[in-house]
Amino acid sequence: MTMQLFISGIIFGLSLGSIFFLMTIGLSLCFGLMRIISLDQLLYYSVGAYITYSVGLLTGSVWVGIAAGVIVGGAAALAVERIVFRRIYDRDLPFTMITSFGVLIGGVGVIKYFWGLVPRPVAEPIAAQVFVVGTEIPIYRLVIIGIAALVYIGIWLFLNRTIIGKAIRAGTEDVEHVEGLGINVYRLFTITFVIAGGLSGLAGGLQAPLIMVDPQMGLEVLAFVFMVVIIGGLGSIKGTLVSSFLVGQVVSLGSLIYAPLAQTAPFAIMLLILLVRPRGLFGSHLLKR
Amino acid sequence: MSFVRWWWGLVLAFALLALARVFLPLPFANEVVIFSIYTMGCNYLLGRVGFISFGQPAYLAVGAYAAAFYLFYFGSNPYFGLLVGIVAGVAVSFAVGTLFVRLRGDYFALVNLALAVIIFYVMQKMLAGITHGDNGLWFLTNLDSTPILDLTRPEQFFIFAFIVAFALWAFFKYLDDSIFGACCLAVKTNEDKVNFLGYSNFKIRLVAFVIANTTTALAGAMYAVYLGFVSPEITSPARTADPVVVTILGGVGTLYGPLVGSIVYTGMKDVLSKVFGNWELVIGFVLVFIMLAGEKGIWGTLAPLFKKVALRVAGKAGDGR
Repeated sequence: MTMQLFISGIIFGLSLGSIFFLMTIGLSLCFGLMRIISLDQLLYYSVGAYITYSVGLLTGSVWVGIAAGVIVGGAAALAVERIVFRRIYDRDLPFTMITSFGVLIGGVGVIKYFWGLVPRPVAEPIAAQVFVVGTEIPIYRLVIIGIAALVYIGIWLFLNRTIIGKAIRAGTEDVEHVEGLGINVYRLFTITFVIAGGLSGLAGGLQAPLIMVDPQMGLEVLAFVFMVVIIGGLGSIKGTLVSSFLVGQVVSLGSLIYAPLAQTAPFAIMLLILLVRPRGLFGSHLLKR
Repeated sequence: MSFVRWWWGLVLAFALLALARVFLPLPFANEVVIFSIYTMGCNYLLGRVGFISFGQPAYLAVGAYAAAFYLFYFGSNPYFGLLVGIVAGVAVSFAVGTLFVRLRGDYFALVNLALAVIIFYVMQKMLAGITHGDNGLWFLTNLDSTPILDLTRPEQFFIFAFIVAFALWAFFKYLDDSIFGACCLAVKTNEDKVNFLGYSNFKIRLVAFVIANTTTALAGAMYAVYLGFVSPEITSPARTADPVVVTILGGVGTLYGPLVGSIVYTGMKDVLSKVFGNWELVIGFVLVFIMLAGEKGIWGTLAPLFKKVALRVAGKAGDGR
């Protein structure tokens, strides 16, 4: 493997990891606070990508499209939370998982209804390249990595420096005590869910120019998102960060060595980690509700 | 008393068999029977052991590909192909199960789904030389016609599939009444107490896992023999939830649930995809609706009604005498 290939592989892995991170952070937050596995985050990912396509086509700027994708992703999450999840927070995990899968499939149907089955291309907003150690690297990928870093810092500040964020963190430890302090936990749930949906929408919007946008795109990344969540441990943001970049690198560098490794190597790593640590790298014990 | 009930079950089953042959088109009937076998495993895991598995297609693919490899490369006897599928199912679910059943419920569901998708990629890309990738393996012409029940002919395959489904149904009914079935339910409700009673959680779960997924692998092998064709499509990410959806649709943990669910699901798929064309939308909303409406499913809702009617009829008959 030449040096140039290696460097571009690393950058590719980092940008892929950024997308994974943006998607799984929502899943992880929802699990931590509400004890639900919200598979419908993958729906907001597809919605974000499609909105990026449509609005980008309409306004001529992909960035406006991505912003719209974030907003629509969050709005869709709000609607779903109000209609479906509000009723099932007190149910057990498998129940929420099946229900959210229903939302995901139904949502894919809605997407097919509006946009049809044909894959849609989205123009890359920045076509320019930079040279790093003699390697051509698309600036857009670097921008994705930067945005993911900003989001991580933003989430960290939100959870550690604001009252609502602190309440959310307290809620992941013990919801009943938070409720006992007079905080409306259902509003916290809504806020968390909308943030998660918006971030998934952002991931979809950022990913849209790199792939063809098609109705099944959410289901295609499903396995990777799951592997990231399992390796990092459910409910841990630090774990999500570490494992998404780990999986991103494994996919990227693995495919450079031998193409099918891209899909199978992360799975092998996941099995290994589960053998040693059944709750993932940073997974918490399931605290009592 | 129990003898009478068994006997009635058999009569009912053969009446159904005759009815299905007369009223339903053969491909549809075959599809329903295989699908209900496919769902039985998932139903057992979800309803009796409390495991939700979004990865059932993984085991379906194991059975299907094992049978397909045998029939494509080595032999030509469909019965033997089915056997190979079962053996592969036992081997894989045992190997995977020792690792998976130790996991907490949420991780279990996620890991299974990941396994299904990985098997999809392995079959589609990594082993493309052997599996012919997306084109799939075609071996319908390789199949020998067999004596007694000729599996290469759809109408005789239906009888065979029906007998298998009925045997499995009886087997799961037997499991429910056995100590092992009680242990499974106990594990679902409270693991710690099962431990106190001196049973091994791990072993109970492993055996249940192997039984359920071998059933699924058998369904996969039957698909392979019936269609004479296997492609990675059977484990594609878009189809991972099928058995869970059907289980929920029919009613979790009920004996007839898988059959009712398969009939409704396959029927809806056939009819609606012709009329409406947007299959996902319907099934997604039906799933969410059933979950919000109390997750009892079709059979779970109907069964108490039937019982009430039957009791009333029986009561009247008693009065008349």
